[in-house]
Amino acid sequence: MRKYSAAVKIKTDIPSVEFREFTLDNGLKIILSRTRDIPMVAVNTTFHVGSKDEDDDKTGMAHLLEHLMFEDSPNIPHGKFDEILNKNGGDSNAYTSWDSTGYYIALPSNKLETAFWLDSDRLTGFGITDESLRIQKDVIFEEKLLYVDNSPYGTVEEESSKRLFTECGYRNPVIGNMDHLMNVTLSDVRNFYEKYYSPDNAVISVVGDIDYNRTLKLIDKYYGGLIPGISLRKEFKNDNYPDSEIRAELKDNVHLAGKFIFYRLPEMGTKDYYSMSIINGILSDGESSRLFKELEYNNELVNEYDSNLYGMEKASIFAVSALVLKGKDPDTVEEKIDNVLEDIKNGNIAENEILKIKNRIETYFSAKKQSIISLSEKFSYLKTFYNNTDKINFEVLDYLSVSKNDIIETAGKYLDRNKRVVLNYKPN
Amino acid sequence: MSKVKIATLRPDSVFDRTKPPKSGKPKDVNFPDFFETVTDNGINVVVIEDRKFPLVSSRFIFKSGSYSDHLWGKKYEGLSSVTSELLEKGTAQRTATDIADEIDFLGATLSTGCDYDATYISTYSLRKHFDSVFEIAADVILNPAFMETELKRVKEQRLNSLLSMSDDGDYLSEKIFRAEVYKNSPYALQSEGTEESISNINSKLPAEFFSKFFRPDNLIIAMVGDISPEEALQKINSSLIFPVREKTVPAEIILPEKKTGCRVFLHNKKGAVQSSLKVGHIGIKRNNPDFVILNVLNTLLGGYFTSRINKNLREEKGYTYGSRSSFNCQRFSGDFSVSTEVKNEVTADTISEILKEIKMLRNKEVGKTELKNVKNYITGIFPLQLETPNAIAQKVLNLKLNNLPSDYYNKFINEINSVTPVQIIEAANKYLHPDDMIISVAGNVSEIKDSLKQFGETVVVNE
Repeated sequence: MRKYSAAVKIKTDIPSVEFREFTLDNGLKIILSRTRDIPMVAVNTTFHVGSKDEDDDKTGMAHLLEHLMFEDSPNIPHGKFDEILNKNGGDSNAYTSWDSTGYYIALPSNKLETAFWLDSDRLTGFGITDESLRIQKDVIFEEKLLYVDNSPYGTVEEESSKRLFTECGYRNPVIGNMDHLMNVTLSDVRNFYEKYYSPDNAVISVVGDIDYNRTLKLIDKYYGGLIPGISLRKEFKNDNYPDSEIRAELKDNVHLAGKFIFYRLPEMGTKDYYSMSIINGILSDGESSRLFKELEYNNELVNEYDSNLYGMEKASIFAVSALVLKGKDPDTVEEKIDNVLEDIKNGNIAENEILKIKNRIETYFSAKKQSIISLSEKFSYLKTFYNNTDKINFEVLDYLSVSKNDIIETAGKYLDRNKRVVLNYKPN
Repeated sequence: MSKVKIATLRPDSVFDRTKPPKSGKPKDVNFPDFFETVTDNGINVVVIEDRKFPLVSSRFIFKSGSYSDHLWGKKYEGLSSVTSELLEKGTAQRTATDIADEIDFLGATLSTGCDYDATYISTYSLRKHFDSVFEIAADVILNPAFMETELKRVKEQRLNSLLSMSDDGDYLSEKIFRAEVYKNSPYALQSEGTEESISNINSKLPAEFFSKFFRPDNLIIAMVGDISPEEALQKINSSLIFPVREKTVPAEIILPEKKTGCRVFLHNKKGAVQSSLKVGHIGIKRNNPDFVILNVLNTLLGGYFTSRINKNLREEKGYTYGSRSSFNCQRFSGDFSVSTEVKNEVTADTISEILKEIKMLRNKEVGKTELKNVKNYITGIFPLQLETPNAIAQKVLNLKLNNLPSDYYNKFINEINSVTPVQIIEAANKYLHPDDMIISVAGNVSEIKDSLKQFGETVVVNE
């Protein structure tokens, strides 16, 4: 746990969460946390593999596996995973990011063993069939149409990533290139599975109405016999930051022009990452935020504005976006955004403005602890990327200890106009 | 045949993994107790005390929303939503900026909005800031200024939002669907307004809407979290003092006209590579006694991942990323619909499959096992909806808004479990009408139009 100097000592009222942590001989990492609010349990299994780990000519594999893992496994009949789970009163879902693939199950606590039975079977061997592969390719193709091609400004993610990164896997969209997807064979799927779906590459977090000893015994029963994989992880080579500003004009079937500005920063969990989170709050959190006032309220230039910090394992992206009101000039919007960022770099920030964001973070952290699904996801995330589960109770302090000087330093270093990407979306 | 690759399992741990494990004894699910009372001036107050986290949320619900726009006529549709947006844009003593600055500094949220049946004001904050937050909320509720300058801003933003929303296929198909399903009833009005109606709204109208409906006898308040009923009532009685007004005039119930036959409505969307479709017809109001049976029926048909429609369209055919059916139930009326997004060439096939699934539900009694599975699913995940005090409050408020009994959720699991196959097929025949469907599609009209004529009279709405 990080130590804090007296000068930034911080107090918070947020109640802490209890948990226990174990590792099986085969490398599977386990986090158990008992909460007794409802008679249910959430099980999150996260594999440390995401789209950045994919081969350049086979993008979209991590996400494809996420779909297929619900279709077939050695002992569960085809397509029955969700049916069995649903009829036991449970539900499931999964997500793929640049860095990881997460699966969760939520179900009544008296059915906990069913969750382990279903989930662990995915690791007992490769069971995917050609038929499942064919159908899920179609499903993913529709997913891409829905969220990217047929969605207003839906291409922003892929258009920005490929310009922010030129070498590493972060330049590819998580959903992958559809030409790659259509050419994937069952043996490609098998290779990817064997490389990454092993107990030593996974974290399982169980949160809810559980008994610690019994839960650990059950996990050992279902996962203990799995044999660890051979680590053949693709070596990650980070990109240099862009060395000059990159601008692009894009057309889309939209009515309002869009302005999207991106900066790169160090990875999540770094001091710069937490400082940038506070800056992000100052810029766009609530209607007292700088962007709301500058872009929407005082100057009536935009219909929507936002800023986001996307923390990843090896890099972060800070994004500012705006949809420009009809008849207003996108360049004026960009100028205003730049002025706001310059102000931050120059330290024109009131201490109260920083305190305000910290107050909001405190509320947010309290609220997040109420859901077993989101807690289980958070545990898996902290273990996978930081190998530090204590952060469940202490990460809030990483945010609360950011000082004005930290903010000025981070803004000065990374909000550099010569290292950014600007996308201008224009109505077709 | 077991496909287990022994190589990935330690020999000593090979057991029969094809057998499902036994489950333990199920635990009782209890809907938490809550406090309720009515104040002297007629406010319905609900308090759900939960001390686990130092958080308090409050919700204020006036039982009038976009449905009530009809009192001013179609010319002003969108009035309720403009009114609710203006609430936090200034009071007699605070500017819009004051409100935002104060709320944000407390790390709190204050939001306002409306749907067809009600206008909502909600707050969320740490306990230590709740006194200040409540005071601001009370100011917003009692003294909104409805200033000309703020209305101008809201209108300009709304006109642009309407443009931006029309880039979205789902929005377009939903819009056409609603207009047809609820034709000639206030539920057919566009809650967000139109270019014309928003331009028509002047600053007198939000003030009129406010004085008509923001009255204590039209108000329900829920306070939830780290607060006791005594504390909550004390706050309401000391800080939320309404001027004495007449009783609120209850809403007049105007039901949509009935139409028969399937009709197809197309909205041509430039460059669309998928069809956004919504297929359905009129449904039920929220307090219809068959609601629970229809909940089971809908879940089975298209309400969850392994429902008949999603299994057919996604898992068997790969037509779509997802599809869902729902009964959208409001206070006076509701609708039933199936929605999905599919590529142009399978649009007609998809509609045929949806109609086929609906007909099957009417013609063939559901098997006992399938029904049992659906019930297990609904009752099994039910506690997830009771996880946070806020979620519980939302449920209780819905009961109050729709005049449902306070013990509704105590009986919920038993009622779900008592639904029979005969009730399902009877409800399917009573409430699902595959021959009288409104089929609303936003997409590439030139590519799909011909294939859709088989379903009925076809109209392109933006030709």
